[in-house]
Amino acid sequence: MLTRLTVDAQVPGDAVLDLTEMTNQTIKLGAGLRQDCDTIQVTGAGRLRLSKPNKYWLESSQKRYVPSVEDTVLGVVVDTKPDNFLVDIKGPNLAFLPVLAFEGGTRRNIPKFEIGTLIYARVVKANSIMNPELSCVDATGKAAEFGQLKDGYMFDTSTGLSRMLLSSPTCPVLEALGKKLSFEIAVGLNGRVWVNAPSPKSIGETVLMWMLWHY
Amino acid sequence: MEEIRADGRNPNQLRPFSCTRNPLDRAHGSARWAQGDTIVLAAVYGPKPGTRKGENPEKASIEVVWKPMTGQIGKQEKEYEMTLKRTLQSICLLTVHPNTTTSVILQVVGNDGSLLPCAINACCAALVFAGIPLKHLAVAIGCGVLEDGEVILDTSKAEEQQLKSFAHLVFPNSRKSASSKAANQKEEDSEQGLITSITHGVMSEDDYFNCIERGLAASSRISDFMRTTLQKQAPGDA
Repeated sequence: MLTRLTVDAQVPGDAVLDLTEMTNQTIKLGAGLRQDCDTIQVTGAGRLRLSKPNKYWLESSQKRYVPSVEDTVLGVVVDTKPDNFLVDIKGPNLAFLPVLAFEGGTRRNIPKFEIGTLIYARVVKANSIMNPELSCVDATGKAAEFGQLKDGYMFDTSTGLSRMLLSSPTCPVLEALGKKLSFEIAVGLNGRVWVNAPSPKSIGETVLMWMLWHY
Repeated sequence: MEEIRADGRNPNQLRPFSCTRNPLDRAHGSARWAQGDTIVLAAVYGPKPGTRKGENPEKASIEVVWKPMTGQIGKQEKEYEMTLKRTLQSICLLTVHPNTTTSVILQVVGNDGSLLPCAINACCAALVFAGIPLKHLAVAIGCGVLEDGEVILDTSKAEEQQLKSFAHLVFPNSRKSASSKAANQKEEDSEQGLITSITHGVMSEDDYFNCIERGLAASSRISDFMRTTLQKQAPGDA
């Protein structure tokens, strides 16, 4: 359950929690927060969010993405290695997608992705020191919707906008568009959106209508 | 008798400020900071993987490029780059993304005095818009010392050329505290310290400390302005 704290939007350096006033509690710190002696300080500009019972994080919107585990992202293949595909997910480092991380993946049926292929994947490992790792299977081992996205059109957005498109209940923009046009859409939390429709004209219409709304 | 400055301001009055959020489409974060007619455009790209040779791979490295309004790049520009790099290194959290490079590119659009403070403010705003993790903000102010020891803030170009000495000072921003011990606020403010100090000309110790005091008081105003600018969200963002 999410509750919005009544504190105003934060700026780097603000101390948001005083640990001396909270005794015997475990607090989980998410993105954008760090501990400085007795206080928890904010490292960026954004809104402080709390997920009960004890998880805090800073919600902000940028052009670039900071990888975190279990996020679904849209990546572009930039290189192939014997064991991994190197995928650009708009983060500080390139991500690795193991060649076997596909449903029924064996050494014999490794997918052939060229440079520039668009992939819908989920983040499996993400820490600041190593390159993040992706996977095209979900936790149970099924392909779900992951894998290569063919045709269609891909464009960049901010991370805040992609979060809004993925919010539940369904974002009103997507609902309104769905009533007028038929299209397929994949949203990556790293600020990338892919749209596909039966004819190129419909794709153009979808993107145009979306952009008119957004700007 | 109180001297009135050439443009009619009081000694403590700053020129009107403005900060534009992300004017550049391609840059990962950018800011256009204007103080009167001094305008600087800062663009931030990064973090990008890999560091230059000679830089510590356990930390993020920051690269600064200064582009003057006219003329070729010379020693003055290199000095500005070095000052900015050191200032930014002290406000950024360098251990969050090790082995990456963040590039900051500054373009001087207009120069009417207090150029370095304007550039530092622009850089700081651009870093926040790009999402680079920071310990706190850097707030910069230019102070000049008149003949009679009076301190004037936010010097213009004409004033800088006439004064015998002036200083550019950078302070950390005034922060909100979550604790209920609000009584200690005043003491905390004066103990925050100075990040960078560049002086030109000769001034006495007393004048210098005077500058610091006045600068600190003014920095809280600039700090509040930065706070409101950084909190405004672009449309379409959650």
